[in-house]
Amino acid sequence: MPETRMLYRRVDEPGLASIETYRRRGGYRSLTRTVKEIEPEELLTTLQDSGLRGRGGAGFSMGKKASFLPRGDTDKFLCCNADESEPGAFKDRELMQKNPHQLIEGVAIAAIAAGAGWAFIFIRGEYAEVADILEGAVAEAYGAGFLGADILGSGQRVELVVHRGAGAYICGEETALLDSLEGKRGNPRLKPPFPAIQGLYGGPTLINNVETLSNVPHIVANGADWFKGFGTEQSPGTKVVSVSGCVQRPGNYEIELGIPSRELIYGLAGGPPEGREVKAWFPGGSSAPVLTAAELDLPYSFEALADAGSMLGSGSIIVADDQVSIPALALRTARFYHHESCGKCTPCREGTNWTVKMLERVLSREATPMDLDIIASVQDNIIGHCLCVLGDSMAMPVSSMVKKFRPEFEEYIRRVASDSPGLGSDGAAGLHALTGTSSLAPASGPHA
Amino acid sequence: MPDPPRITLLVDGVEVEAPHGAMLVDAAKHGDVEIPVFCYEPKLGHPVGACRMCVVEIEGIPKLQTACSTPVRDGMVVYTQTERVKEAQSAVVEFLLVNHPLDCPVCDKGGECPLQDVAMGWGPGRSRSVDPKRHFQKPIPLSPLIKIDRERCILCYRCVRFSQEVAEDEQLQLLERGSSTFVGTFDNRPYIAPFHGNIIELCPVGALTSDAYRFRARPWDIEDAGTVCTLCPSQCNIKLTVRDERIERVLARDNVDVDDGWLCDKGRFGYQMAESGQRITEPLIRAGGELRPAGWAEALEAAAAGLREAGERTAAIVGGSSSNEDGYLAQRIVRKALGSPHVESRPSGGPGVESRRTGGRGPAGFLRQGLVELSAPRLAASVSDLDRAESILVLGTDPLHSMPILDLRIRKAVRLRGARLAVATDRPSVLDGGAEETARYAPGFVGGFVSALAAELGAAGYERARGELGADAERIAGALKPGSTVIVWAGPDARGLVGCARALRLEEDGAGLIEVPEGANGRGLREVGCLPVAGPGLSDVEQGLDASGIRDALEAGSLEAALLVNADPIRDFAGGPAWGEALGKAKLVLAVSMFEDASTRQADVVFPAESYAEKEGTVTHPDGRLQRLRPGTPHPGGVRPMWEVLAELGALLGEETGVESAPDALAAIASEVPFYAGISHEEIGGTGIRWQERAAARYWPRVDDVGARDEVPGREVEPAGRTAPEPGDTGGRAEDVDGVIRVGTYRDLWAAEVTDRSPALRFLAPRQALELAPRDAARLGLGSGHEVEVRSNGTSVRARVSIHERVKPGSGFLIEGLGDRAASLRGELVEISKAGEPE
Amino acid sequence: MNNSADSSSEAEVSSEFPYLEDESVVAVQRGPEPGGLGGAYRAFGETLRGLKTTFARIVEGPVTIQYPEEKTPVYPRFRGRHKLHRFEDTGLEKCVGCSLCAAACPADCIRVVAAENDPEDRVSAGERYAEIYEINLARCIFCGYCEVACPFDAITMGHEYEIADYNRDDLIFTKEMLLAEPLERTPLRREGE
Repeated sequence: MPETRMLYRRVDEPGLASIETYRRRGGYRSLTRTVKEIEPEELLTTLQDSGLRGRGGAGFSMGKKASFLPRGDTDKFLCCNADESEPGAFKDRELMQKNPHQLIEGVAIAAIAAGAGWAFIFIRGEYAEVADILEGAVAEAYGAGFLGADILGSGQRVELVVHRGAGAYICGEETALLDSLEGKRGNPRLKPPFPAIQGLYGGPTLINNVETLSNVPHIVANGADWFKGFGTEQSPGTKVVSVSGCVQRPGNYEIELGIPSRELIYGLAGGPPEGREVKAWFPGGSSAPVLTAAELDLPYSFEALADAGSMLGSGSIIVADDQVSIPALALRTARFYHHESCGKCTPCREGTNWTVKMLERVLSREATPMDLDIIASVQDNIIGHCLCVLGDSMAMPVSSMVKKFRPEFEEYIRRVASDSPGLGSDGAAGLHALTGTSSLAPASGPHA
Repeated sequence: MPDPPRITLLVDGVEVEAPHGAMLVDAAKHGDVEIPVFCYEPKLGHPVGACRMCVVEIEGIPKLQTACSTPVRDGMVVYTQTERVKEAQSAVVEFLLVNHPLDCPVCDKGGECPLQDVAMGWGPGRSRSVDPKRHFQKPIPLSPLIKIDRERCILCYRCVRFSQEVAEDEQLQLLERGSSTFVGTFDNRPYIAPFHGNIIELCPVGALTSDAYRFRARPWDIEDAGTVCTLCPSQCNIKLTVRDERIERVLARDNVDVDDGWLCDKGRFGYQMAESGQRITEPLIRAGGELRPAGWAEALEAAAAGLREAGERTAAIVGGSSSNEDGYLAQRIVRKALGSPHVESRPSGGPGVESRRTGGRGPAGFLRQGLVELSAPRLAASVSDLDRAESILVLGTDPLHSMPILDLRIRKAVRLRGARLAVATDRPSVLDGGAEETARYAPGFVGGFVSALAAELGAAGYERARGELGADAERIAGALKPGSTVIVWAGPDARGLVGCARALRLEEDGAGLIEVPEGANGRGLREVGCLPVAGPGLSDVEQGLDASGIRDALEAGSLEAALLVNADPIRDFAGGPAWGEALGKAKLVLAVSMFEDASTRQADVVFPAESYAEKEGTVTHPDGRLQRLRPGTPHPGGVRPMWEVLAELGALLGEETGVESAPDALAAIASEVPFYAGISHEEIGGTGIRWQERAAARYWPRVDDVGARDEVPGREVEPAGRTAPEPGDTGGRAEDVDGVIRVGTYRDLWAAEVTDRSPALRFLAPRQALELAPRDAARLGLGSGHEVEVRSNGTSVRARVSIHERVKPGSGFLIEGLGDRAASLRGELVEISKAGEPE
Repeated sequence: MNNSADSSSEAEVSSEFPYLEDESVVAVQRGPEPGGLGGAYRAFGETLRGLKTTFARIVEGPVTIQYPEEKTPVYPRFRGRHKLHRFEDTGLEKCVGCSLCAAACPADCIRVVAAENDPEDRVSAGERYAEIYEINLARCIFCGYCEVACPFDAITMGHEYEIADYNRDDLIFTKEMLLAEPLERTPLRREGE
């Protein structure tokens, strides 16, 4: 099944990042229509009718979220969450790098729909180059009158600021993002109150992902019904999926939700290298519970993946083939979340720390099968007990790995304990490909 | 404020009634269900839900919820004992202990540690963790008074929230993240702030320990003794930790109507003064130029003989830390036994004390009238009214220095409720940052400002001021909400306040005045008769001399004997060293003092004084709350209760008081102070009672009884200083005169005897500093740290220059209470000359 | 008195007894007359049987323990006078002054005042040590709870039981006394005394 390109249409056209090219390709027409012809209420209805679900991970209806914002004269804000830090996700990066104006237009329209006079794009600090492009594009948009105190002379006001994060994964969590934007330590806030009621600087705030907002101009241009023509009933529209790991053609693929996952991994991304088999795959970034080869035929949609005990999340598939060591993969995953835990709530702070220590013992020579039980139980104690979802993000994949690949963990412990060369080294090779890092194993472990 | 409606919820199958909107943790307590918490502390404001200890199951919500952040609703069904909840709670304890060193035997918190309690009650009993714990260098000083052990820290955020959201000093921060997070300050600077001792009490583990209390006792070694701190007018409720008859520490005793459960560091560490070992513990008599120990009988006889001889040429100065009983008996001796009207308790006067130009004999009719009007029950605000008022005006005082706990209270009102704060002071206040409007007037010019404010508020009989003063007053007036304003004020000359009070309808509920007196028990002493213009119950009496009048009269020889009850006028009173000369001329100086100080050096008879930890008696809070002092430690050596000593002295002088116990002394007060009528220790109880809320409050003297002999409100008022500015002048013109600055003085929080006498606090003792605006400093060629001499009319003070952005040009500020003559310069135009280069 | 005399084997009934002769008097059988061989045996036989045991024990040697020169051994778990211990290697005191023993003590006879260690001149291993450690042995009931409560095995109950003294004050044992080996407090006879 081929890709269905909406957001990525003409994405490789040279110069699309400039406002001239973008406008030549029909850009900013939706915004022009919005400010001139459409009432904000109508706009909100269109967005709700379209059934567009948030693309950041939670999959909540975007229009519904926007409608939660109180009406009236209070200062309202819109934040675009461009802090794309999930391992395996790189769709927003390409969207912003190659087609920044599509996002800016979406932000402006959404801000008008929500009645927000100020909009912020909180972009991941490491995306320095992308942020430069985005800032250039924002300046262009201001210059052309698409942003500012009086958009196209309509009296509508949207001020847009690109804010660079300082390198914390947790700031991709919406409330931590708000704290960080306010100049505080980026820690998640207690919910409720939800940002839609009390967000940035205490004002109602709409927070959406880059991909979600990039969809908005298309919906406005073509209508909700057109949009619903794509994808499934519950998750209409297209979805950009980043496929990475042990595949032959890693990259972003824009698809209609509901296609078989096998099609995505084997068809579009080319499957694992010759002679290897898929062993495990993360369907929604590194925070989703892993699925096995047996589950490759699941339809790639929010509902089907949730039914299978995993999630679509941000739509980032990471494939691990039979050369990858699952214990090493578990440790790598746990280490990431341990490093990124903000430390505010106990289960996440201590749970990630403890899990890493135990997995390190698994990978060195000190663990026993009983430790696997403890690892599993610690993950259960984390899931659902944290202030935000970061703790769950580690616990779910680690737990799924320990449960689904327990024999491998046990064999690992046995083989290492019996002082054999271990399967770590070849496993590590796969992981290098997978995560692009070299600091895989504990310093004292067999990989050192 | 109406109580919130009560609702019913079901906790573990038991119906529990609780106020609507209460957090589930608190509501569950109504049904005797304890939900464990670490990070939850209602005093710190909004819950953060960080520790996850308080998770419970609520019907209809799939995920476990934190009880600390869930407001109760009617009909809510909550389970705190299900397997799921138990597992989650025990998991949190296990997580917390993964990195906790479990060094309870060494830890100071052992025995009174919430983590121990919760681990025992809700923990799994054993840990499955065999991995190494995190390590920090420990213990290291977080401040000169607090040690931090980061290994024990469970990162509950309480201390950081206190620093950021209660004291608002923003010094404590969480550094690093995840499991490496630790509490610290920027660049490892010491955490020095006036309220920082509270974090010791907030810490639910032994991570923050008091240096002074370190390893001193275990909870089972100690006894708690509840009393009231009388080191400042805040009169915070405290709990003394006593071991082997020594005070080892001071803890807050929550009283939401007084202190909100906070203490300042002076109150927390100042107990060391009582235990310093330098106390005078027996009576002393001067013989051959030297003070020598004497028995009580001998000393009392010597004192009585001297007083008998001086008779009506005796004056009494009652210090602010005296109890109502001490003050009452002292004034009774002087007034009744000796027939002298000269009783004073205010270092620099109070409402209506006139400038010295009138020789201390001001228009006393007004004085009493002013007192009676401004302290009237209908205008009185309680401390808790600050939690309700829509606007707050801080006038002529910086609560941080004069009544520290009010500073926190005002910050709370602004932060949590968005109350509008206006600050009008001569010296920049630490509350300026949170204020909606601030105004600066020239030092000593509070009277002019208040009159201008009254005019702006539309009070009849006041003229609107011109220029800067008028504009400032207008801005302040604009921030105040009639009918819902509390004015926190201090100052000697605030006649215009009557007009302000009328215009702002301060007689309404939740509005009113809180006067910050100079002495800790200033209000109580005033009400029991320690005033030259009013007797017990503000009754009309023969008028006596005020403090400066007494000093002049002693020096001139028209007064011969001075009775100093817990007062060191040389240190604390305006004039400072000049008092030394005055006391030197007196035939008899009878000093009641805890320590040998400048004044006891001039004394002929010295009675040892009790510390507040030994005293039994009552004090009156600035908002009218009578509180009890209860003895927590025995009297050292030959120290005796002061009421007993004064009663005996009275008897020797022929004034039989019939006072044979502390309750007797209170009964004697109650019989003479009409608005205290019938009050007893039992009625005051543990948390005190405001006399305004008792039926006897109707006996407050009526204004027309007082007889307004002179004084027309609205007349332009002069500052207390000798050099009166022109009407309408804001004092700002001084800047045009080369080298001349108008000096104001303030009592620094730490400029007190307790700082010098408590080893823990000594490092905070301030040095005399002249605060100048940058413009004046530049004009005078002065830089920060320069030594200068500040002179006026033959009085000179040496100080170090300190430049402050927010000081009004033309003003300068010196610290009172350092034993130099700074207080004499209050309101004066001074010359400044360089006395040395910066160090 | 009368009753007991009555119930013994005396058969003679005094006429003063207020009993009816026929109902209350019980005839008791008398023993054989003394004299003769049987009489001699009855007189000395039992004595000889007793002496047999006596003479048999003579050859076993004396069993008297010459206290105080000799002492009865005590059971290993005997709870005698307390001892405080040091680490054998470093010589530091094991006690950290945590006061748990004082908390556990039902007789309230232990007083601990802790202080902070000077890292240059350590007394105990941790941050804290017992500056004052006193046990009032006049009050102690030797229950051993202190030993049980101690988290560092710093205090144990020894086998010393000779604690008697002339003065109650001398029964307040200080830390130094508890750390030292028990003094020989009972005067011993020297050889030949």
